[in-house]
Amino acid sequence: MKKILAIGVLFVFVAAGLVSLAQEDVFRIAALMPSATNDLAFSQSMYDALAAIQEELGEEAFEFTVQDSTYIVDDAAVALRDWAASGEFQLVIAHGSQYGPIVEELAAEFTDVSFAWGTRQDTFGMDNVYSYAAASDEGGYFNGVLAAHLTETGVVGLVGPIEVGDGKLYADGFANGVASVDEEIAVNIVFIGSFSDVPLATEAAETHLANGADILTGTAQMVVGPIAVAVANDVLWFGSDASQDELSEDIGVAFQIYKWEVLLLDMISNIKEGLLGGEYYKLTLENGGLVMEYDKDFEISDELMAIADETIAGIVSGDIVPIPDMMEEDSGE
Amino acid sequence: MNKASGNSQLALAGRLNRLIDFAPVLIALLLALLVASVLLLALNANPLEAYDFMLKGAVGSENATAETLVKATPILFVGIGITIAFRGGMINIGGEGQMIVGALAGVTIALVMGEMRIPPELAKERGAFDVFIVACSLVGGFLAGALYGGLAGFLKAYFDVNEILSTIMLNQIAVQMMNFLLNGILLDPAEAGFNNIPKTARLVTAAQLPRLSLPIGDPHLFDRTRLHWGLIIAIALAVVIYIFLWRTSWGYRIRAVGENQRASSYAGINVRRQMMFSMFLAGGFAGLAGVVQVLGLQYRLQTDGSPAGFTGAAGFNGIVAALFGGLNPLGAIPAAAFFGGLLVGAQKMQRELGVPASLITAVNGLIVVFVVSSEIFIIQRSKRRVSLQETPEGLDEAEETG
Repeated sequence: MKKILAIGVLFVFVAAGLVSLAQEDVFRIAALMPSATNDLAFSQSMYDALAAIQEELGEEAFEFTVQDSTYIVDDAAVALRDWAASGEFQLVIAHGSQYGPIVEELAAEFTDVSFAWGTRQDTFGMDNVYSYAAASDEGGYFNGVLAAHLTETGVVGLVGPIEVGDGKLYADGFANGVASVDEEIAVNIVFIGSFSDVPLATEAAETHLANGADILTGTAQMVVGPIAVAVANDVLWFGSDASQDELSEDIGVAFQIYKWEVLLLDMISNIKEGLLGGEYYKLTLENGGLVMEYDKDFEISDELMAIADETIAGIVSGDIVPIPDMMEEDSGE
Repeated sequence: MNKASGNSQLALAGRLNRLIDFAPVLIALLLALLVASVLLLALNANPLEAYDFMLKGAVGSENATAETLVKATPILFVGIGITIAFRGGMINIGGEGQMIVGALAGVTIALVMGEMRIPPELAKERGAFDVFIVACSLVGGFLAGALYGGLAGFLKAYFDVNEILSTIMLNQIAVQMMNFLLNGILLDPAEAGFNNIPKTARLVTAAQLPRLSLPIGDPHLFDRTRLHWGLIIAIALAVVIYIFLWRTSWGYRIRAVGENQRASSYAGINVRRQMMFSMFLAGGFAGLAGVVQVLGLQYRLQTDGSPAGFTGAAGFNGIVAALFGGLNPLGAIPAAAFFGGLLVGAQKMQRELGVPASLITAVNGLIVVFVVSSEIFIIQRSKRRVSLQETPEGLDEAEETG
């Protein structure tokens, strides 16, 4: 009887050990996002990237949890600290440059936890902080070139959030792309001062149309308003951050899509090898982190497709520099 | 029946009534959780598990409790101010704007004085604390918020401008002012040029409110949390305002105007002055909430362009806390802690269950609506008690018991 009991106990310990080992093999990421995971923009791009990694690595090897719609910086601190203190996650992502000061504070306190934040270049000189950004000016330039070829009124409108980070990069790139085709085309840019104010963004889009724009574009999560305006007025739409195909019906033309999985996979690999941070990543067309996708319902002519391919090739090769005087430091939402 | 035993019976009845008064609040809370359970079930989440996470998120650990108290601090400041305004017959919806204005003034003072008084090499020195800078920032934040709130009081008192509308409009002005300043003269010099993220520079360590830990255990309780001295200031001020409202002639005048303006006027009270004064104080406390958030927690003023991006909606949550606390500054203390816990705990629930953030907002909203609605039953019971006392039997009994 004692022997059976001993074997039973041994079996339980071995099983628990195996389960524990199996759990250790699972790589866990916790990610904080400023808007909803289905915002068709900044947050969704990260959520989609995490889902793509899970599909690639399998649920038994990769798990992730998110807290979305955390636009209040103070709330972000609660979540990030909770994750860092739990010891359950190998990587904690703060997806928004407004979270930077919190990451700086927590990274100093939890030195064995790896943090990633963006979109900014700054790792605070810490060995457990990764930073990342997107060269959204590249997609902006591409969209600008196409928009310049498609406009009939010679007026295009852009609705941006706050004049910072990848929103500003996109706007500058877009304006330069248009100007590279025809400097006479007016690019009206409005930064509404908010990432999330959909009614205000809608009003800005209406104003663009009232001023003769026949093409609209924009960045950040409040673009659902301008897209609705574009659909209602049968005006072409160019998007950024994530695919907006499902919302833009037949007026969408092209979308710049952030593929964060490109850099996340590298981070995961580094962390597994013990490198917790200290590196800066940037999504570009060249490294596949930025992808230009055409709306399925938009019929692009062969001539325009050739121009589009030429533009991408020029940016990748370095022959085209979307913002020539841009400083190396860049940032994001 | 002798007088002493009659008094003790009355006191006992009073206590019993207060306990019974609290029952509708508990029932409302349970009903809210029940309705929220339906929403959770619809999203394939186990309600019991969800509420367990909520509780753990609010008070499940030392850090969770600290975060609840951190969240409660600005709510309490605003709640105290709202209590004063409501007691003075004024409805202050401008907590958000007043918080922002207070924070703007406080952070400006702290930045300027920090630069003047602290040598750059000591800017990040740990343990440095300049009580003069902090005191000036707090007073500056209070005064800025007070003037902003007082403006709505002035418009109401002298031009009969509806204070609900004026305070809401003033909220909008404040947030635009914040965006303008944070993109302009208050912008962190490190951001200027290429990033332009709307935030001020980080305050020098000497201008920051110290973190709070209690000498219990080793390490001390709350030693490694974000809890700061703002909580102690808020609780102390709640006591001060309780004494002010119920033990001073100034407080009496405010309450009298709130109860009946015409009667107060006949009694020789300057009604307009009291209206302005109550809004002045309400704005001041909201301003304090703003500056304490900066000095105690964020060490800089930062925004995403929306008011809640900085305030965390404490300007509105403070109203609910004040009502939940029975428009009593002391009642606002547990009420603020409750709502702090609710907000922090709900986040934990979202993280653990992966439910959408909008559901969390809905759950919080349900609890607020149900709990605040329970006030109706308490008022009805109170009226019934008064009418009973006014009946001949009640009067006889009251006379008999002294």
